[in-house]
Amino acid sequence: MAHIIKILEGFSFIPREELSLLEALEQQRVEMDYQCREGFCGSCQVSLIDGEVVYTTDPIAFIPEGKILTCCCRPKSDLTIEIPGGCKKKKDNVE
Amino acid sequence: MTYTTFNQEQFDAIKEPMFFGRNVNVSRYDIQKYPIFEKLIEKQLSFFWRPEEVDLSTDRRDFAALPDHEKHIFLSNLKYQTLLDSIQGRSPNVALLPIVSLPELETWIETWAFSETIHSRSYTHIIRNIVTEPAKIFDDIVTNEAITKRARDITRYYDALIEGVSLYHQLGEGKHVINGEEVNISITDLKRRLYLTMISVNVLEAIRFYVSFACSFAFAERSTMEGNAKIIKLIARDEALHLTGTQHILQLMADGKDDPEMAAIARDMKDEARQIFIDAAEQEKDWAHYLFRDGSMIGLNRDILGQYVEYITNQRMVAVGFEPEFAIKQNPLPWMNSWLNSDNVQVAPQEVEVSSYLVGQIDSEVQTEDFSNFSL
Repeated sequence: MAHIIKILEGFSFIPREELSLLEALEQQRVEMDYQCREGFCGSCQVSLIDGEVVYTTDPIAFIPEGKILTCCCRPKSDLTIEIPGGCKKKKDNVE
Repeated sequence: MTYTTFNQEQFDAIKEPMFFGRNVNVSRYDIQKYPIFEKLIEKQLSFFWRPEEVDLSTDRRDFAALPDHEKHIFLSNLKYQTLLDSIQGRSPNVALLPIVSLPELETWIETWAFSETIHSRSYTHIIRNIVTEPAKIFDDIVTNEAITKRARDITRYYDALIEGVSLYHQLGEGKHVINGEEVNISITDLKRRLYLTMISVNVLEAIRFYVSFACSFAFAERSTMEGNAKIIKLIARDEALHLTGTQHILQLMADGKDDPEMAAIARDMKDEARQIFIDAAEQEKDWAHYLFRDGSMIGLNRDILGQYVEYITNQRMVAVGFEPEFAIKQNPLPWMNSWLNSDNVQVAPQEVEVSSYLVGQIDSEVQTEDFSNFSL
């Protein structure tokens, strides 16, 4: 089932199901920090305000309470998330 | 209490705290208090790489073509990286092994420090490849004032802990007179030193290293010194894992289930610990002045690097539960992300070990329904 992802002070969208949350956000051209993309560096954390996610691989990174690691999880319900530093969209390369 | 390499007492290792409990005896991993350290070890082992896998032949030509002020930036940055890994290759062993009480954590510390020695070896590999007289560069690390100043800031917490622990092992707790000076040795004081050391190690791996990575990748961003950047990518992958390790240790210390006294120390010393992050950010900004003293390079200058220092410091402070210090919200070097990601490192194909192939790819639990798509 498709779930709605709401970015606080941003916008809402429905991701393609096969994507990790990080990939889904990137597809929406949201600026996201990342490094390892496999759950050990912790760079791609966001705050989970509401909803539930399921981890596709067990993260090794330390994840504080209330945060989720976007590179290795997918939405399990509708989500409300907050991106540290705010929701910024990438500028298009085409002028 | 003297250190013993094989503790003959019988006890339940699972009940020991991470540090300052009983000395470890059997290196056993069948039961573990904190399985996260085993996961870190396995991940680190799957990362194993050798600097010689990366071809640096074009870097020699690239380096020769750099203008003088960029040579200064590149070499100073490399010297700084060499300093950091010289420290990290030995200090976790010297400082932490005598006081660790859990076998899985002990092995993680050893695995962690070992991987830093690979980094040191790769700096020699790089320096040998780009200059004809490597000795000049290495010798300068201990004489160059800008670098030795940094060494002092980085090592003082380690050194204070090592000194305290060695006195404790020799003399035990209590008041002692050493060389005419009265010294009060207490476990609480040693735990304070340990806490500050862990904070400063986290700062070293999570901030200082990343500032140096930014400089390395700034060269590659304009298609020069790319072999060097490939090596730095592999180093960055290891460092990301190490900083996760120290974040876990700091978190376990702060939450109090491991050792209630350590949690009280973490609470009491919060301001001092926070200050270590802030001071390090200032030191890194000073360093940026030194790097760019003769001029900037395309894509990176003193100001942008300073902003990156603030950005990454904020991020690391939040990660260990501190309030961020600086106003900056956006990553001033967005291209760092793709450089830091190591899965696209091209090394000699016959040597390559893609980490994701090596960990967790075997699934031994096969059920009948797994074959439901097959028909004969």
